[in-house]
Amino acid sequence: MNKTRSLLFRLGTVLILVGICVCMMIVGRGHTVYLDNKKIEVDGVEYAPPYKITVFVGGEQVAKLNARDRGMATCIGQNFEMTLKIMKEKGGEETTETYRLKLPYQLDGIVVNLPAYLAGLPEETWMSEFVSLATETSAEDEELPGGDEMDEFEMGDF
Amino acid sequence: MNESLADRNNYTVRDRVKSMIANFGLPRLIIAAFLLLLFIAAPFVGADFWTQISNTINRFSWNAVMVLAMVPMIHSGCGLNFGLPLGIISGLLGATLSIEFGFTGPMSFVMAILIATPFALLLGAGYGWLLNKIKGGEMMIATYVGFSSVSFMCMMWLLLPYHSPTMVWGFAGKGLRTTISLEGFYDKVLAGFLQIRIGNLSIPTGTLLFFALLAFLMWAFLHTKTGTAMTAVGSNPTFARAAGVNVDRMRLLSVVMSTWLAAIGILVYEQGFGFIQLYMAPFYMALPAVSAILIGGASVNKASIANVIIGTFLFQGIVTMTPTVMNNMIHMDMSEVIRVVASQGMILYALTRKTEGTK
Amino acid sequence: MNNGFGKKIRNFIFDNTVPLMFVLICAVCIPLSGFSFSYLLNEIVTRMGRNIFLILCLLIPIMAGMGLNFGMTLGAMAGEIALILVSDWQIWGIPGVVLAMILSIPISVLLGYFCGKILNMAKGREMITSYIISFFMNGIYQLIVLYMMGPIIPIKHSSIKLPRGYGIRNTVSLLNMRQCLDNLLAVRIGGVKIPVLTFMIIGVLCLFIIWFRKTKLGQDMRAVGQDMNVARDAGIQVERTRIISMIMSTVLAGFGMVIYLQNMGNIATYSSHSQIGMFCIAALLVGGASVDKASIGNVFLGVILFHTMFIVAPKAGAQITGDSMIGEYFRVFVSYGVITVSLIMYETKKRKNKSLVGQQLAQAQKEEAKAHE
Repeated sequence: MNKTRSLLFRLGTVLILVGICVCMMIVGRGHTVYLDNKKIEVDGVEYAPPYKITVFVGGEQVAKLNARDRGMATCIGQNFEMTLKIMKEKGGEETTETYRLKLPYQLDGIVVNLPAYLAGLPEETWMSEFVSLATETSAEDEELPGGDEMDEFEMGDF
Repeated sequence: MNESLADRNNYTVRDRVKSMIANFGLPRLIIAAFLLLLFIAAPFVGADFWTQISNTINRFSWNAVMVLAMVPMIHSGCGLNFGLPLGIISGLLGATLSIEFGFTGPMSFVMAILIATPFALLLGAGYGWLLNKIKGGEMMIATYVGFSSVSFMCMMWLLLPYHSPTMVWGFAGKGLRTTISLEGFYDKVLAGFLQIRIGNLSIPTGTLLFFALLAFLMWAFLHTKTGTAMTAVGSNPTFARAAGVNVDRMRLLSVVMSTWLAAIGILVYEQGFGFIQLYMAPFYMALPAVSAILIGGASVNKASIANVIIGTFLFQGIVTMTPTVMNNMIHMDMSEVIRVVASQGMILYALTRKTEGTK
Repeated sequence: MNNGFGKKIRNFIFDNTVPLMFVLICAVCIPLSGFSFSYLLNEIVTRMGRNIFLILCLLIPIMAGMGLNFGMTLGAMAGEIALILVSDWQIWGIPGVVLAMILSIPISVLLGYFCGKILNMAKGREMITSYIISFFMNGIYQLIVLYMMGPIIPIKHSSIKLPRGYGIRNTVSLLNMRQCLDNLLAVRIGGVKIPVLTFMIIGVLCLFIIWFRKTKLGQDMRAVGQDMNVARDAGIQVERTRIISMIMSTVLAGFGMVIYLQNMGNIATYSSHSQIGMFCIAALLVGGASVDKASIGNVFLGVILFHTMFIVAPKAGAQITGDSMIGEYFRVFVSYGVITVSLIMYETKKRKNKSLVGQQLAQAQKEEAKAHE
């Protein structure tokens, strides 16, 4: 009786921990969102970028994008909320609006094309995966324990 | 009747094999088999067999004396000498002072030994006195005595007034370099003596002879009256005390011997290697020596010269062979991992054996 | 009266040699280093938040009479492995820290169990054995991190993985969870940042340890620590209790390492854990603990004194000798020296007590013999 109870108790603890793990993995998944204020052509229609977009995430200004600029924001979780202050023409009216994006779990870096997004096009036209060009920046050999050259100094490397 | 006899015979044979394995130790068996495998595999993967053998013998000759330094303390029941760096420091002091005083060539080696000796005796005596105060906790304290002395000497190497331009930092004009080349001093002074070269095989006869001399002296010492008394102290201190042996004096003597041998050991190592390494280099030097003697079949309170020879050969064999063979075989240099796991595993194995007498 | 007071002072000095020595060192070095008071305070508070949790994990094995747990490195390794995985999965911020802590638990439990099993086979020389275990496990850790991560344990990101396709880089950046615990609820008082949440976590652990001492298991551990044979006669499962204390210590060390590394902001994959045991033990001993007795107070005092020395020594050394390396070596020397001195004091005290007990026993026997006459 007592044994089964303690077993159940342990099982419960493990389950709770696993549950927390799963929650954390969903809640804590971090994404980097790259916001492009660039001209885009979809199905032969060209969407021109507004003159200037100021991006606020979580109450803080993260980017001020002129046409053809790219800005960056980080986001923990899949619900990305940003407030855009858009100036269509130079010196024109500014409109402020808050947008909510659902980010795909799998992607680390996500590029969002703002003109296409603001035009209300379907998701696949304005969202794409960010592919870093400079992945192999530090390709030169690092000094690892027991690296290639087996020198005698390593006597001390226990 | 017959059957039961056969049964018993069977049993005893199996028992004997079992007890043989138990005596030899499973880890030791694995390590020996592993080395054998490496030697067999070496020619197949394109490593030159004789070069490998030469390397192994070479490294054996560098390290054997330091492993030999383990013997006296194990005999007197002081356990494994994790405080080896203390002796190494005496050796380093001897080496640097000998160069500082302007000795060159083979003379510098002799002088290094002569200068190192008083340091080793003094430090060893202090160390031995300390270990007598803390019987039962020797190994841990020895480890930390070694560490503190090495880190203390790190400061000293910078502060002591050395001036020899071959040793100090060029731009500052003071403070010793981390590595000092021995060219023109005692580089290969023993190894070059009567060296045998046949094709790719080279044997440092001089170093081996030097080790053989020290090992013989150690063996002879252990068979003198003092030597047997020392062994008695190690195996049964109460009995030894009852027999009128001064336990503390024996232990002190063994520690001093061990420290002195460590000092000589590092000098032999340096002459083979060609460089003096200062600062943090001696830090972990005790561990390879400790695991070597354990691999050779010693335990925390039992060791012989044969253990030293077998152990050093096996350990250094693995150290030299694994990188080349592994690299050629699977293109992954896992030698570091294998070395660490094998040597530390061996120490762990020895520490967890139940041993009679001392702790 | 006067004599008694003098004796008291002498006893106080004798009992607190190490902390007093450190107060002296700090008192000399602080003015020499020329650091401003607020800078020092800021540094110390940061280091307290970073290290105290790790050091607290040492208390439990001491309670169980297993000495200073040099095997806490094992927990640190578990924490590092968990953090590497979490950072590859790109879990950021506090969820990342929580996930890393939970992930480290199974690894820590396994390692702690292994360590406890081996220490049970090496009773009487736990410390040297746990010390060697930490080296041994370092080999296994390298095997896992340097060779198995990539082909066997999937690692996606090339920012973590070595260019050769397997193994982890020398440093793994934790930029996305850097100081996330420390910054949440942080309070600034006069330029000194106080990581309130971290201190709250530490406080919870302290309360846990105080509570744990009073539980049945805690009492058992103390009994085992006092005398294994007596405890066994009293029906306590000695081996099991010792293993549990090792497991607890290792798990806590894993948590501690996660806290430590989130503050540092990056993992030095192959060296972060190697010195951590030594520094934590040194800090604990500086606080006046010994091999068989340590309290939470020792931990706090130790961290403050040890890290003050750690911060000011290089600068002070440079001031005195004109060479900054001297200070670096000096603090390493002091760390090792403190451990050495404490170990020696512990062993001599143990021997003294033993001979005292022997004398008392002899005395009692003599008296008994007299009574019989």
